[in-house]
Amino acid sequence: MRIQCVINGQPVERDIDADMRLLDFIRETLHLTGTKEGCGEGECGACTVLMNGKAVHSCLVLAMQAANANIITVEGLSDGHALHPIQQAYVETGAVQCGFCTPGFIMATYALLQDTPDPSEEEILAGLEGNLCRCTGYAKILDAVKLAAERLRASE
Amino acid sequence: MRYQRVVNEKELLESLAEPGATILCGGTDVMIKMRAGMMQPSALIDVSQLDSMQGIRLDESTLIIGAATTESDIHKSPLVREHVPLLSTVLAKLGSVQIRNRGSLGGNLVNASPAADGAIPLLLFDTEIELVSAKGIRWIKLEDFFTGPGRTVLAHGEFVRSLRLAIPNAGYGSFYHKVGRRNALTIAIASLGMLLWIEEHVIREIRMAVGSVAPTARRLRAIENQLTGRLLNDATLDAARQLITDAISPISDVRASASYRKNVIGDLLVRALGASLH
Repeated sequence: MRIQCVINGQPVERDIDADMRLLDFIRETLHLTGTKEGCGEGECGACTVLMNGKAVHSCLVLAMQAANANIITVEGLSDGHALHPIQQAYVETGAVQCGFCTPGFIMATYALLQDTPDPSEEEILAGLEGNLCRCTGYAKILDAVKLAAERLRASE
Repeated sequence: MRYQRVVNEKELLESLAEPGATILCGGTDVMIKMRAGMMQPSALIDVSQLDSMQGIRLDESTLIIGAATTESDIHKSPLVREHVPLLSTVLAKLGSVQIRNRGSLGGNLVNASPAADGAIPLLLFDTEIELVSAKGIRWIKLEDFFTGPGRTVLAHGEFVRSLRLAIPNAGYGSFYHKVGRRNALTIAIASLGMLLWIEEHVIREIRMAVGSVAPTARRLRAIENQLTGRLLNDATLDAARQLITDAISPISDVRASASYRKNVIGDLLVRALGASLH
């Protein structure tokens, strides 16, 4: 089937199988391998991307459902020169250990701060409830989100 | 497998006539079941962008919710927060942000999990479901919709268009609690929801619904009747615990044993009633 959509600001058009998941379209067809597959069943959040401005599990979206949609993956955050302030905050606070969950956390953070620029700790926990990290114990991730929120607000 | 995004209900009904066709909305259950080999549809009919299955509106003393409206939109809806606030509270605990951004209440009900979080508040609000087929429309009470784990009265070629919730009379207290291993994304070990009208320490009206302790999410009408009119005191709490323990039929599974579920549901009921007593 023919799919047209916008990924990270770029229009794309491809022929794909009807049963392809959005995750596989992003990774295998478009070779954007920043988005990870963890559990493949919507529990871990490693495959989180933004679809029309909302965080979704790309493993649970059929690629064809993203036809005409606007998708942002972790590759779409940086301008290609400097890291996005959220990415920079994750690096500086030590919120990245093995790094496998990080793209998903960063996209969930991006969606959270877009709607809630100055989140309380409770709001951060709720915004990241769909993401699992096996390394950090989450404390550093909370620090990263707070730092990123502060810098994004200051830059406005 | 064929994929089709339908743009009107005529197209939907025509597509659903195909023997192996299945409706796809948010995909939060269907995609998992397909991957696990539990479902092998010949066609996925995508209704997630069908206008007639979207939206939330007030109709006199009822609230009508389109079956494909996302759980996020329902959770945030000012109409829902004003008229049936418990639904918004419960949806905040369903799945995760990512799941709620895709999942629909229609899908949650059709999936018919005994643990369906969305079913609990809907049962409390005496929800009726609008089923549409080529033969016409029928309305069915949610209580009569589930027939077993993963099973409903939905016929082949039929779809759920909307849910109609009866807005209850004011002056009630509400309670909902889900016991599970993780706050987000947990499949309930046991859940209980309650609406309670108290007047001078007497139970004027009580509605209770439970999840994960019977083959389907269900109302507990018999217990509601037995508790109505009783003075809310410690003796009533003890009696209520006994009634609910006798009324449910939990199973032992990977998440918890039947005896644990009986204990925990009794605790939840006592907690719910006790919140009004103390």
